[in-house]
Amino acid sequence: QDVTLKMHQFLPAQAKVPTDILDVWADKIEAESDGRIKIDRYPSMQLGGRPPELADQVVDGIADIIWTVTGYTPGRFPRSEAFEMPFIMTNGEDTSRAYWQYVENNMLDQDFAELKMLGVWVHGPGLIHSKSPITSVADLNGVKLRAPTRVTNKMFTDMGATTVGMPVPAVPEALSKGVIDATVIPWEVTTALKVSELVENHTTWPDNALYTTTFIFAMNKDKYEALPDDLKAVIDANSGEEFSAFAGKTMQAADQQGLDFAMERGNNIIDLSEEQIAEWKEAAAPIEAWWVEEMDKAGIDGQALLDEAKALIEENSK
Amino acid sequence: MYRVFLTLARFAAILGGIVLTALIVLTVVSVAGRALNTMMHWLIDIGLLGGLAQSVLDMGVGPVLGDFELVEAGIAFCIFAFLPLAQITGAHATVDILTSRFPDGVNRALTALWEVIFAVVLIVMAWKLYDGMQGKMRYNETTMLLQFPVWWSYAASLGGAVAAALVATYVALARLAEAATGRVILKGAL
Amino acid sequence: MDNFDIGLLSFPVLMLLIFLRMPIGLAMFAVGFGGLYFVTGGTVVALAKMKSEAYSTFSSYSLSIVPMFLLMGQFATLGGMSKALFKAAESWLGHLRGGVAMAAIGACAGFGAICGSSLATAATMGQVALPELKRYGYSGGFSSATLAAGGTLGILIPPSVILVIYAILTEQNIAKLFLAAFIPGILAAIGYMITVSIYVRLNPDAAGTRPAVPMSERFEAMINVIPVLVVFLLVVGGIYLGIFTPTEGAAVGAMGTGVIAWWSGGLRGRAWLDSFLATAKSTAMIFFIVLGAAFYNSFLALTQVPQELSQWVVEQGFNPWVVLSIILVLYLVFGCLMDSLSMILLTIPIFWPIISILDFGLSTEELAIWFGIIVLIVVEVGLITPPVGMNLFVINSMDRETPIVKTYGAVMYFVGSDIIRVIILVLFPGITLFLLRLLH
Ligand code: NA
Ligand code: NA
Repeated sequence: QDVTLKMHQFLPAQAKVPTDILDVWADKIEAESDGRIKIDRYPSMQLGGRPPELADQVVDGIADIIWTVTGYTPGRFPRSEAFEMPFIMTNGEDTSRAYWQYVENNMLDQDFAELKMLGVWVHGPGLIHSKSPITSVADLNGVKLRAPTRVTNKMFTDMGATTVGMPVPAVPEALSKGVIDATVIPWEVTTALKVSELVENHTTWPDNALYTTTFIFAMNKDKYEALPDDLKAVIDANSGEEFSAFAGKTMQAADQQGLDFAMERGNNIIDLSEEQIAEWKEAAAPIEAWWVEEMDKAGIDGQALLDEAKALIEENSK
Repeated sequence: MYRVFLTLARFAAILGGIVLTALIVLTVVSVAGRALNTMMHWLIDIGLLGGLAQSVLDMGVGPVLGDFELVEAGIAFCIFAFLPLAQITGAHATVDILTSRFPDGVNRALTALWEVIFAVVLIVMAWKLYDGMQGKMRYNETTMLLQFPVWWSYAASLGGAVAAALVATYVALARLAEAATGRVILKGAL
Repeated sequence: MDNFDIGLLSFPVLMLLIFLRMPIGLAMFAVGFGGLYFVTGGTVVALAKMKSEAYSTFSSYSLSIVPMFLLMGQFATLGGMSKALFKAAESWLGHLRGGVAMAAIGACAGFGAICGSSLATAATMGQVALPELKRYGYSGGFSSATLAAGGTLGILIPPSVILVIYAILTEQNIAKLFLAAFIPGILAAIGYMITVSIYVRLNPDAAGTRPAVPMSERFEAMINVIPVLVVFLLVVGGIYLGIFTPTEGAAVGAMGTGVIAWWSGGLRGRAWLDSFLATAKSTAMIFFIVLGAAFYNSFLALTQVPQELSQWVVEQGFNPWVVLSIILVLYLVFGCLMDSLSMILLTIPIFWPIISILDFGLSTEELAIWFGIIVLIVVEVGLITPPVGMNLFVINSMDRETPIVKTYGAVMYFVGSDIIRVIILVLFPGITLFLLRLLH
């Protein structure tokens, strides 16, 4: 082969995202380049460091390709937070497609200027998994809850929860020991973390998404530039909007398994009604203004970005 | 000279010890706050002393916000601040089964060689930590909950790393002098 | 030469440097750096790694347990807990044949329950028990050997710094590992006491005698041990029952022992600063090894050596028990020369993937825990096996009159007891997993 690329990410090799998305992409690149590109896969942070360092690693060339959660480095990719706003996403596929378009318009020469972007996507609708049932916003009062990003932490704190920061792998232990009473994650992750065995209640927002988390799949820029044109073409053909939409769709599809497992166990799945959802929407709404203000402070037109994100999601979800 | 660097190393270590103690107290306060919070909610649930419990909760009794982040930032500083003392007291683990049979001169030369390499590594480490800090500044990275800039923690650690590099350089030079003259400059373990 | 060869070649180079007395952490760091240079064709990647690797290793929340446990051990000594433990054990056992040595073992076990490090346990109990053993006519070699062996209980009985590091490397639950270590730790203490009684029967000159202490005095001595018991129950019990995370448990323990030391007047001025200095030295030493290992292991991952090696072992279709035995013998051999922490950090990333795909009739979690405890024991044997045994050196430095060769002779009895225990625990995984299965 001509080039070997090191693909680094934080999940174990057998998790859904690596097997159903990243490996699929890598296999395709290897096949379509007639084996001239080889992609060595390093799961579970095997190349060292901790998940928040993946962004640095791909910039510095420690890894050639990385997949990571955008929010692991709060402040570094501020524009992506527009897609983490509550009740903004529709479904994984359409929202991811919109996110890619948004990235092309606003982020490629800003937040992502030092990266060669291969794909960006969001996971399926996020929901609350808790020990005591949560139906109204007031039920969050005093609940020790773990959330994944700056935006979600701020939102749940404002709603009255006691947010506790910790890495995802610590969630099962923390739940089983009462260090936290609840966590927000999509269904897909509950399978690996055994969340449905540790809590009995799952609050869902039918046809709505309380929140989502954004991901980036990126390559080292120099490494990409150094490729001969025909190999660049192979990478380009498999990256961008279509791949992002595929990844978002695949990730949401994996939610079903988590939901099925919780149902099998006879857990309490709380599907909130329209009226109940309206209350949550109202309580969550101030976060948008907070975010716009944060962006203004950083010299970014937050309102314009937020409007564009919403418009793109709506357009792609038709 | 030896006194000066030993004092610097001890000062850094004691500063690290004080920060470590502060982290321990912070963690215990957080645990206690969490336990009280849980207990008050429980009292309200079973309908006992509900009013009192609610007023305790209203005072904001609970875990310390961002305790994990503070421990992570603080502990990094501690470790960097502990390095100079380990350097000047020769506390690093070694295997001397083979070298104990070597002549003294050879051993002194080996010791000097390793200390020189150690000094180079610690100097590069401080330099690279500075690079890392600049990156965190440029990217405006903050922590998740308290949202304080990550470069602050890097800067604190850099203080320890620079002290470690200075002390290691002195130790390396002293060991070179010892190898050249056969005189004992560093007293070794305290 | 391809990457795999570079990876393989790095082992002998690393060993050579270590045996030329290069500090172990530095050697791993240097070989990792050099390896990255060859594998990535330059210093760019290796230097880039240094930008974040040191900070990220040192700012680990889970590893913050280590300095906290070390400080806790310092405070426990200043608070007179080691003395109280030895006094209590001695009042009950001292009059038996070899009784003062048995009491030293018992006190080590007690101290191990509130201290996470073997060296600290050996050093602390050595200070307290060595003069007493001498006073009652115990031979120098036997006294030193007893305390060196007793010191290993510092790690075998939870809390344990090495188990914390093993848990992080294999992504296992620290609380469960602590729980699993409990019965093997008690078995170790019992085994050492039996060893003492066998030794004094074979070598009657090695131990003196001492009259029995009245019952009232014995119970009085017990009362002074209550703080130790409280701290142990609070920390290990609290971690296990889920009142707090392991790091929080370490913080609670350090603060608890600190308050006791303060109360008893042991934590004033100089003593406090000295406890910081001692903690600083051990912590820096441990973390530099952890950093070196992180650097070396990420280089090794790039060469694919761990993956290909474990795949090779599986393809050969070896019997799992033979593979396990070979690994354990390797640990014993290397344990004669290297320290336990470096061995764990160096080998677990290679051996655990191999063990994890072999079939021992256990779930992955049970396998990880059982293997961890057995590895813990075999690497701890290394602390007392001649010629390089850190515990032997620690005790020897306190008793310059006893030639270390005399200690070497006596300590082999304790090594024998360790090996018998390892064989039993390997043959019957149920012993190690008993508490875990009972409580889950
Ligand atoms: Na212990
Ligand atoms: Na040994």
